[in-house]
Amino acid sequence: MVTLQINGDTYELAIEPRKTLLEVLREDIGLTGTKEVCDLGTCGACTVLLDAKPILSCLTLAIACKGKEITTIEGLRRGEKLHPLQASFVQKGAIQCGMCTPGMILSAKALLDENPHPTEIEVRKAIAGNLCRCTGYVKIVEAILAASIGE
Amino acid sequence: MRLPDFQYVEPKSIQEACLFLKDHSQESKIMGGGTDLLPSMKERILKPKYVVYLGAIPNLDRIEFDEHLGLRIGALVKLRSLERSRVVLERYPLIAQTASEVGSVQLRQMGTVGGNLSLDTRCYYYNQSDFWRKCRPTCIKMGGEKCNAISGGKKCFAVFSGDLAPALIALGSKITLVSSKGERRLPLSDFYTGDGAKPLAIKPDEILIGVDVPMVPKDAFSVYFKYRIRRSVDFPLASVATMLIFGREKKVCHEAKVVIGAVNTRPEELKEIDGLLRGKEFTSSLIEEASSLAFKMAKPVANAASSPSYRKKIIKIFIEKALRQAVRESV
Repeated sequence: MVTLQINGDTYELAIEPRKTLLEVLREDIGLTGTKEVCDLGTCGACTVLLDAKPILSCLTLAIACKGKEITTIEGLRRGEKLHPLQASFVQKGAIQCGMCTPGMILSAKALLDENPHPTEIEVRKAIAGNLCRCTGYVKIVEAILAASIGE
Repeated sequence: MRLPDFQYVEPKSIQEACLFLKDHSQESKIMGGGTDLLPSMKERILKPKYVVYLGAIPNLDRIEFDEHLGLRIGALVKLRSLERSRVVLERYPLIAQTASEVGSVQLRQMGTVGGNLSLDTRCYYYNQSDFWRKCRPTCIKMGGEKCNAISGGKKCFAVFSGDLAPALIALGSKITLVSSKGERRLPLSDFYTGDGAKPLAIKPDEILIGVDVPMVPKDAFSVYFKYRIRRSVDFPLASVATMLIFGREKKVCHEAKVVIGAVNTRPEELKEIDGLLRGKEFTSSLIEEASSLAFKMAKPVANAASSPSYRKKIIKIFIEKALRQAVRESV
């Protein structure tokens, strides 16, 4: 049995060692907000926060996450209200197909938690590991910068 | 893509890990951050019976600095910690800069120093899915007899694509390996065999536990240049690490180390260039001579996402750029 802390909840799971954190989140727990895209560590769509730091859940064994705090996109909402970053993405139209969005927002959250007022370059560097094939980053960067100044 | 089945082993101490590897070394793979091992397992390049995860062993993730002994980096230090460590940024800017050029933020947050130094070599015909590889004859690295990159090739040309190794070799680093039989230290440059099929001089039961970097003068010049397709995530396709120490009058070079990466099966020290630069003033003609020599010495083959001729030219340009920057910054 493996005990995982996800979005403040505790889950006790009987899982095979070969299961990645991504597979466990989506298949065993039903948190499908975290997306599977390349599944080889290139695209960043499966980004989640492990102890507040962004990591790729497709290349992380779930069994190795014991005792760590995992945050997925589902964990950002505050009650019925969206997280300011989520609201900003909606507001600025920084979403098209949506596959990169959860990872993008979590990378941005990790950045803003450490550096609440980043420059545009710092934002671009923080999301460099999250590929988007639709909107082309401009609106995404705008959304993160807007959230950083509380717009 | 699912991972193949394996048994998970999580030793709590180095002794426990060594003891396990003593009996199971041939069927085991060691995992640090997993960013190199797990993709290869997903593509069925590697199918270990045991995955030995070192993450639960304490004290392997430390960065220690001593004014006389230099820097000691534990094998499990994350690349992200290395690029942001104050002492590394201040005393070893080359290491911080190089670490910051690896992969993406997420990959650096996961990937470890030991893992980056122990990266498996890569080839366009090897790092592919099981299905893709089965459409061609089994290559030398997969245990076959044919090289798919070089027709008639009798050895494996897969490229060592670690970023940290060229930089740490340029700084004269040593590594420590442990096994149940004891500990041994060797220069990092001797860790690479030059055989693409078996690139590391590590015994199956040994574990890389740390790197020691000697003191570097505060005014040494160092820089790392990396060529890749996408600046945000990719492995290098050609890279150059340069470390230069100038005399007090800031003109004559006393010590030079030029190491190229991602061109050969191992990070290559260009000792002829070191010799050419040592004791000289960097004139335009010397810079031209050194970079042309590097162009001749770099021999990439057609096994990466960029052509050999382009990678060769890039090596020349990088060396020229490094030496010119050294002249500008040291005057």
